[in-house]
Amino acid sequence: MSGKEETVELLRNSLCKRCHEENATHSIRSEQVCHKCFSQYVTTKAVKRMETYRIRGSSAKPPRKLLLPLSFGPSSASLLHILDQHIQGQYDRMNRAAYELFVVHIDLYVDPVDRKDSSELLEKYKIRFPRHTYSSFGLEDALLLDGIEWKSLHIGQPNESDGKPTTERLQHLLGSILSATSRSDIASTLLTRLLVDVAKRNSCEGILFGDSTTRLAEKTLTETAKGRGFSLPWQVSDGDAPYGLGFNYPLRDLLKKEIVIFSSLATHTLAEIIIYQRTSSTVSASSKLTTIDDLMTQYFESVEENYPSIVANVVRTSSKLQPTSILDTTACGLCGLPVAEGTDGINGWGGDQNSDSRPEIKDGHYGVLCYGCSRSING
Amino acid sequence: MAPALCAICRTSRALIIRPKNHQKLCKSCFIAIFEAEIHHTITTTSLFSPGDRIAIGASGGKDSTVLASVLKTLNERYNYGLELVLLSIDEGIKGYRDDSLETVKRNAVQYDMPLKIVGYDELYGWTMDQVVEAIGKKGNCTYCGVFRRQALDRGAKMLGINHVVTGHNADDVAETILMNLLRGDLPRLARSTSIVTGDANSEVRRSKPLKYAYEKEIVLYAHHKKLDYFTTECLYSPEAFRGSARSLIKNLERVRPSAILDVVRSGEDMAKLVPEVVSGVSHCKSQKVSLSSADGEDEGAGGCGSVNGRNSGGEMADMEKKLRQDEEASSREVDISASIPLSANSQKHDRIGESKPPQKMGKKLVRQTLGTCKKCGYMSSQDICKACTLLEGLNRNRPKIEIEVDVEDEESSTLRRRMEGIALGAG
Repeated sequence: MSGKEETVELLRNSLCKRCHEENATHSIRSEQVCHKCFSQYVTTKAVKRMETYRIRGSSAKPPRKLLLPLSFGPSSASLLHILDQHIQGQYDRMNRAAYELFVVHIDLYVDPVDRKDSSELLEKYKIRFPRHTYSSFGLEDALLLDGIEWKSLHIGQPNESDGKPTTERLQHLLGSILSATSRSDIASTLLTRLLVDVAKRNSCEGILFGDSTTRLAEKTLTETAKGRGFSLPWQVSDGDAPYGLGFNYPLRDLLKKEIVIFSSLATHTLAEIIIYQRTSSTVSASSKLTTIDDLMTQYFESVEENYPSIVANVVRTSSKLQPTSILDTTACGLCGLPVAEGTDGINGWGGDQNSDSRPEIKDGHYGVLCYGCSRSING
Repeated sequence: MAPALCAICRTSRALIIRPKNHQKLCKSCFIAIFEAEIHHTITTTSLFSPGDRIAIGASGGKDSTVLASVLKTLNERYNYGLELVLLSIDEGIKGYRDDSLETVKRNAVQYDMPLKIVGYDELYGWTMDQVVEAIGKKGNCTYCGVFRRQALDRGAKMLGINHVVTGHNADDVAETILMNLLRGDLPRLARSTSIVTGDANSEVRRSKPLKYAYEKEIVLYAHHKKLDYFTTECLYSPEAFRGSARSLIKNLERVRPSAILDVVRSGEDMAKLVPEVVSGVSHCKSQKVSLSSADGEDEGAGGCGSVNGRNSGGEMADMEKKLRQDEEASSREVDISASIPLSANSQKHDRIGESKPPQKMGKKLVRQTLGTCKKCGYMSSQDICKACTLLEGLNRNRPKIEIEVDVEDEESSTLRRRMEGIALGAG
C-alpha cells in the first residue's frame, strides 16, 4: 500500500480528532478533522486576527470602515465570507458591529468581455453578501492618481491631453515595458496605490488583504528578489503603512491550500463565485514570459506541500524586520514608499561599479524612485 | 547584418554578452570592466591599506583563481602595496583535493606567490573522508564548513597574516540571503551581506572582494584570461536549504539577469532592518560585526564547488519537524494562559520556536564576547569553540585513539595518520 493510499485509508476510518463525532475528512497540518472542525479552525484563525475590531464597551461608536480588496480568488472571497459572518455575529449579540466593509474589485484586464464578466460576478457577491458597500474600478484609474510622479518615470507618460481613453493609455504604458517581471511589478504597484487612494477617498481606516501565509512567504522572497528588501516591513507585517492607513492580513496564519479547501467546502457555497487560477506548475516554460512572481508561487507551492511550517517560519521571520524611521526620507515617485536619502535609484551603491551607466539628469528634473521601482523602469 | 560593435569601445566586434546586464562587449573591454568593478569595490570599501599582507583562500576553483589573478593585476596596476599569499586547505577528500591542490601549486608559480597548504588531519586529526565514514553523508557539510573556516584563520595565523580574502561571489551572497530567509535566521541575515567580517578585535579579518561579481562573469573572465583552474564538485551532499536557495537563484537569474545583484541589494537593506537585539550589530557604528568569524555557517558554499540545487531534503524535514513540535508545544502554552482545563501533558518548558521571539531576543541580548576556546585556544564566543565541540562528538565514537585526542598537536596526528595507514594496509 503506497503512502498516499494509506493516508486516504486512514482518513476514511478515523473520527475527527477534535469533536470525536464526525468522520475525519480533512487535515490541519498533521491532525485529521471533520469538515466542520476544519471550517471552524480556518474561521477562528482569521477572526483572531480581527481582535482590534472587537466590540469594546457599551458606548455606541460608529463602526470603523475598512476596505476589502476582492479579486474573486479563493483568499479574498473566503475572507469576505468569514468577516461577513463575524459582523453578523456581532449584530446577533450586540445589535451593532465594530466595523463595516467597503468591498472593492479592481479590473486588471481592459478587454470589454472581461469587464462585463467581472461586473456580473460582482453582482453575485452583492446578492450573496448584501450587508456591505461595493465598488469597482479599472487599473487604468491609477493613471489619474496625483500621488505618482509620472514625469520621473520616463515611460510612455500618460498624456491626458491626447484624448485617448485611459484604458488605451494603460495598455500603452504597460506595453512599453519589455520585461514580464517589470510589467507585473509596475501593475501591482499601481494596484496598491489605487487601492490606497480609493480607501482614503472613502474614509477607510485600513485595508484588509486576503494574503495567506503562503502568499506572504512568496512576497517576502519576491520582493527580496526584486531589490525591494527595504520595503518588507510594510509589505508583510500588520500595521500602519506609510500611506497613512493600516494594512492588515487576517488570513496570515493560514496556508494557501487550507484556504482553497475552505473556499470549496460545499456548505459555504462559495466555489461558484470564485475564480480559481490555473496552478502555477503549468507556468510558461519560456523565461521571457515567466515572472519572478511566477517562480516564487511555483516554489512555495512545493514547499507548502511538504514543509508547511517552513513557509510559516519565513513569514514570521520577515515580519520581525523593523521599518526604518521615515525621517529624512522621500516618497518614491511610483510606489510611494519612503526612500532614505541617498538610497534611491539603481545607481550609486556598492553593487553599481559602473558609473557610466548612470542616466543623465534631463532638464533638471530627476524624481526620487526607490531601487525596486527604478529597476523595473530602467533595467 | 553587420557584426555588433562593443558597447564601450565601439571599435572592436562585440563577442561577449555580459551576464550581469546583457551589454554586448568585446573581449578586452569585458576584462577591463570586470577588473575595474572589483577595483571599485576594493577602493570604495577601503578594503586594504598599503603594506597589508593578504592571504588568498585558494581552492584551485574558478572563484579563488580569478580572485588571485585579479588581485595580482590590480595590486600591480594601482600600486596597492599588498603582499599576497596563497593559502589552501586540504580537507582530506580523496579525489576532490588532489587535483585542485596541484592546480593551486601551479597557480603559485604562475602568479609568483608563496603557498601554504593546511590539512584537516594536521589541524583536527580528522580528514573529511574519515568524518564521513564516522557520521555518514548527512550533515557532513557542517563539519567541513566549521573546520574550513577555522582552518583558513589558523593557517593565516601561522603565516602571521591577519586578513584573509575569499572568492565568495554575488551568487554565493545572494544564495546565503535567500537561505537565511528560508531558515528564518535573522542574525545571519544581518551579518552575511557585509563585505568584511570580523572586527578590529579579531585576529583575522575576512573579506570578499568578489561580492558583487557574477559567477558567470567569473567563469568568462577565467576563460578569456586562460586561467588555470580546476572544475570539480564536492563529492558529498549539500544541505537542503542551500541547495534550494541555489536553484532559486539560478532560476531568478534566468528570468531577470539583474536579480542576483538585486537580492544582494535587498540583503544589505534588510540587514539594517534586523532589530539590534537580534543582530548584535549596532547600526550607529557602521557594519561592525562581532565574531562571525568564530561562527561556522555564515558562508558555507565557499569551497564546496557548485551545489546545483540537489536537494537531500533531510535538513528541511528536520526543521519542519522541529517547528511543528514548537507549534504544538506553544499551543499548549496558550491553553495554560487561557486557564482552560488541560491535560497533564502541557509542557511549558518544551517550546522553543513559535512563540519564541521574546525568549530568543532575551537570549540574544547576551552579547557575544570575544574569548578563546579552552581547548584549542582559538578565538571563540563560547568556552569551547564549535570545531572542538564537533571534534568531541567525533572523537567520542573513535575509541581506539581516544587517548590521543585531547592532545591536539602535530605528533599525535602524525601518529594517527600512521595508525590509519596501518589499518588501511591491514584491511
